[in-house]
Amino acid sequence: MNNSLVVALIASGVAYGTPLLFGALGELLAERSGVLNLGVEGMMLVGAVMGFWTVQRVHGGSALALVLAIVVAAVAGTAMAAIHAFLVITLRASQIVSGLALTIFAGAAGLSSYLGNDLNLSGLPASHAFHPVFPNSMQSWPIVGPIVFGQNPLVYASWVCVIAVAFYLARTRPGLNLRAVGEAPGAADAMGIDVVKYRYAHTLAGGAFAGIAGATVTLAITPQWVSGITGGAGWIAIALVIFAFWRPELCLVGAYFFGAMQALAPELQARNISLGPTELWTNSLPYAATVIVLVVVSSRGARRRLGAPAALGVPYVREEA
Amino acid sequence: MTRRKLALAAAAFVIAGAAAVLALGTSPGRAKSNAAFKVAWIYVGPHNDGGWSQAHDEGRQYVQKMLGSKVQTTYKENIAVGAQLQQTVASLVSQGYKMIFGTSYGFFDKALAAKYPNVLFEQATGTDVAKNLAEYFGRAEDTVFLSGMAAGAAAKCNTIGYVVAYPIPEVIRHANAFALGAQVMHPGVKVRLVWTNSWFDPAKEKKAAQSLVAAGACVLGQNVDSPATGQYAESQHIPWVGYDSDASKFAPKSWLTASVYNWGLYYLRRVKAAMNGTWKPGFYYGTINDGFTKLAPYGPGVSAKAKAAIAKKEKQLENGSWYEFQGPLYDQSGKLRVKKGVRMQVLKGGTNSLYGMNWLVKGVIGSPKG
Amino acid sequence: MRVTVERRLRQPRWLAVAVPAGSLVFAFGVAAIVLVATGHDPVSSYRQLFDAAFVSTGSLDQTLIAATPLAFTGLAAAAAFRMRIFNIGAEGQLYMGAITGAAAGLYLGGRGGPSAFVIAAMVVAGCAGGAAWASISGVFRAFFGTSEILTSLMLNYVAGYVLTYLIFQSESYWRQTKGFNATVFPTGKPLPSSAVWPGLTVHAQGGIVLPLGAGLAVLAAVVLWALYRRTRFGFEVQVLGDSAGAARYAGVRTRRKILAVMAISGAIAGLGGVSQDGDFRHALDGDPNGLQKQAYGYSGIVVAALGRYNPFAVVLIAFLIGGLDNAGNTLQGADFPSGLVGVIQGIILFSALGGELLVRHRVRVVRRASAVAAAPPAAAPEASP
Repeated sequence: MNNSLVVALIASGVAYGTPLLFGALGELLAERSGVLNLGVEGMMLVGAVMGFWTVQRVHGGSALALVLAIVVAAVAGTAMAAIHAFLVITLRASQIVSGLALTIFAGAAGLSSYLGNDLNLSGLPASHAFHPVFPNSMQSWPIVGPIVFGQNPLVYASWVCVIAVAFYLARTRPGLNLRAVGEAPGAADAMGIDVVKYRYAHTLAGGAFAGIAGATVTLAITPQWVSGITGGAGWIAIALVIFAFWRPELCLVGAYFFGAMQALAPELQARNISLGPTELWTNSLPYAATVIVLVVVSSRGARRRLGAPAALGVPYVREEA
Repeated sequence: MTRRKLALAAAAFVIAGAAAVLALGTSPGRAKSNAAFKVAWIYVGPHNDGGWSQAHDEGRQYVQKMLGSKVQTTYKENIAVGAQLQQTVASLVSQGYKMIFGTSYGFFDKALAAKYPNVLFEQATGTDVAKNLAEYFGRAEDTVFLSGMAAGAAAKCNTIGYVVAYPIPEVIRHANAFALGAQVMHPGVKVRLVWTNSWFDPAKEKKAAQSLVAAGACVLGQNVDSPATGQYAESQHIPWVGYDSDASKFAPKSWLTASVYNWGLYYLRRVKAAMNGTWKPGFYYGTINDGFTKLAPYGPGVSAKAKAAIAKKEKQLENGSWYEFQGPLYDQSGKLRVKKGVRMQVLKGGTNSLYGMNWLVKGVIGSPKG
Repeated sequence: MRVTVERRLRQPRWLAVAVPAGSLVFAFGVAAIVLVATGHDPVSSYRQLFDAAFVSTGSLDQTLIAATPLAFTGLAAAAAFRMRIFNIGAEGQLYMGAITGAAAGLYLGGRGGPSAFVIAAMVVAGCAGGAAWASISGVFRAFFGTSEILTSLMLNYVAGYVLTYLIFQSESYWRQTKGFNATVFPTGKPLPSSAVWPGLTVHAQGGIVLPLGAGLAVLAAVVLWALYRRTRFGFEVQVLGDSAGAARYAGVRTRRKILAVMAISGAIAGLGGVSQDGDFRHALDGDPNGLQKQAYGYSGIVVAALGRYNPFAVVLIAFLIGGLDNAGNTLQGADFPSGLVGVIQGIILFSALGGELLVRHRVRVVRRASAVAAAPPAAAPEASP
């Protein structure tokens, strides 16, 4: 039962979707404040390399090293986001171009690769890594075993983050203010909300989440470092935010869907199930699905905003950009 | 008004100054070492990927070490086939590099070699040969076969999982060699393939490994470049055969062995030949005998019996008394493909040649089309 | 004392040149600090950069090879962005143009020298492929209001997977299936000789080949400029870009413009794709380690932004950035890690972006005693993205 295709896919979806989820949560916060950050991939890579560096250099127990690594990764991601924030919020630069520039600067042919090579991080496994915490007996329970108990602590942390972000957005004063900032910054400003501060804070938070997402890859999924190890997860995270209508709980569903799609092709191969050009459609499906979702949602909204990049309460680019 | 003029003047001055500095500045110091023979390597991935490119880079470092100041080596990494490759070669040539090793299929062809007739080109895993273009590769399948024997010996069940990259003859023959080796030590064992369609993709390889274990594999092997499969094997406490490098530190308990390339010896020979003018183009296909390929050190899970059997077979391969790709060989459907006693050639024989092999041997589960 | 940023009413011409130049200087200064900190000599590094991009034998040749696709994707972005249609899909549209253009070349081409007919057919096919792919996003935007940023971005991935599939995962029309080499590694079918695009050889610097694509890019820039500056269509596009409300009031047919502009943008990107086939690769390149690794589409957006969406400036900037890319390959090596190249490029981009502020805004230091309330830094709807 636990080896069935469905269970295996969901379990894989959860495991591989976690960096996507962290990345998406971060980008969601930034976009809600009105800042589109296309540099997620670059921020993830920097978080990945700095988190990895921490576990390789810190002497001490596993738990200490890993927690410190997550903190360092978050700080690294935040630092990258700060560049973007400064450029687009204070200097009013184009958000799209700045995000792309950040990807070039920090990405696989940039800072992250430079740091990893300079710090000699390749060629060795992570000294400490996140492993499943529940005993094997629990991991073999039917269905919930692999899907829930077979995951590493970062997965559980991501669940807490989803709940926290959802609560923040829906139930707290700053969260509600954030919506105003994203939807109608002029009005928010008139109400006395400091638009600039909110944008900075949430763009930086986006960077922190992206950094943690990167560390998830180098400390949990494939505990090693090599240039470009996140393999495009940052771009998927951007798509994911849209796919999830900028709602945290849907980010979770979407992340696991995208993750499961990525695991589908190998699973089908191993089970001798051939569905034609599997690789093509399992890779394309999440993106095509996102497009369809977008179209359906915009047409339902039926408000055609000329000059506005998106129809449904999408806060970014309308304002400064 | 004056502020504007001032700003314009300042900008113009700075630009002019920068241009002057650039134009007049002396060349970087390395022009002094004109006597050194300049040779470059081009990698398709990062030089420290722990796999294919790193093995080549170790070969380059070996050359640099052995020839010291007589040679000046450099490398270019992450070079894409196409425009970037063209630019890289052009810039290397203009910097005075006289010999370039291209370590991925598709880098060099006759046209490129003809464009730079005074530069020597060597291409790994390719087929074009010209006056200044040579090809090189080798019988890794022999050591892959031996590593397959280790896998077969360690298998407590009847399925071995093998993570593979692209469904091309190079990978297919390695998969076949691996299976043939496993079957020697564990008759009737099945080797199940999952294709990742990438030489290096840790996440994908881990997914492939997971799916293979879910499908019943109790030993894992690979023909891809990252140690992700091994890390997964270690977490599942099952044995693992690697590829391209000694990655035992990624999975100390699971590690069995791996087929590794030793490019350095070939590189040293060729660079020396180029330096003293005896270089000739050709198609080099290395063997265990000339040190081109060997087995990485064994891990704890290889039994003494297995070691003895592998050593015996290795000797037979070395003295030519036995060859894994000698008939009778049957394909997956049971059809006889290579007659008894016939040895497969490297290039001759169409789909029955090593470079043209597009069928999988009996006992391998998976499609040769990917 | 407060620093305020005020929007300028007029943007003086000289600023439009001085600021980019100044930010370039600033960028090289910051990058020099980075180089020194990592143990490299900035002067010799820059000299090598300049040398490799423009001076040494064969450098201009290689720079043109790098610059041609950037010119196309830059123009594609400029064509759309000018109307505030943010087409991020030049990458995918380029792939599609490469696919359809290669099909035309394979089907119609034959023996003999480059044929004007075949090449014209390839150009048409390439433009059509790119335009069609872009029109998916265009239709969704025009009729449903769906953000073209997001749909075009998503479609980039789909296009990439299709491209890889055609060569690596299927025995498609584009794939080479005959001959020995075909079995060794998946590769595209070579274009027949009449479908190979010619180049103009200039005898300088050891022989510079001006690819046909480069000429077509310049031509496209001229056409685009004329279209946007000299026709009614272009006038309406500019009005729509500057003020959507005013355009609507004036009766401009917005939906048609959106469709047209996306199609034009996609066509130019598609032309860039077929240029890759005809000028450089002479086959369809589906290798994930080949064309898809170059990110021409995304770089084109950056080029367009730096050129402030003026077609001629875009071509010039494409040339400069192409030189930088080319030079990056030269600098890279055992003692100059490849990561450093990206860092320097990023710094240059950031500086250029930051410098933009000075062109459009004036920074003033206001003494507190002054009762002038500076405008809130929020609403600045005219800022281009």
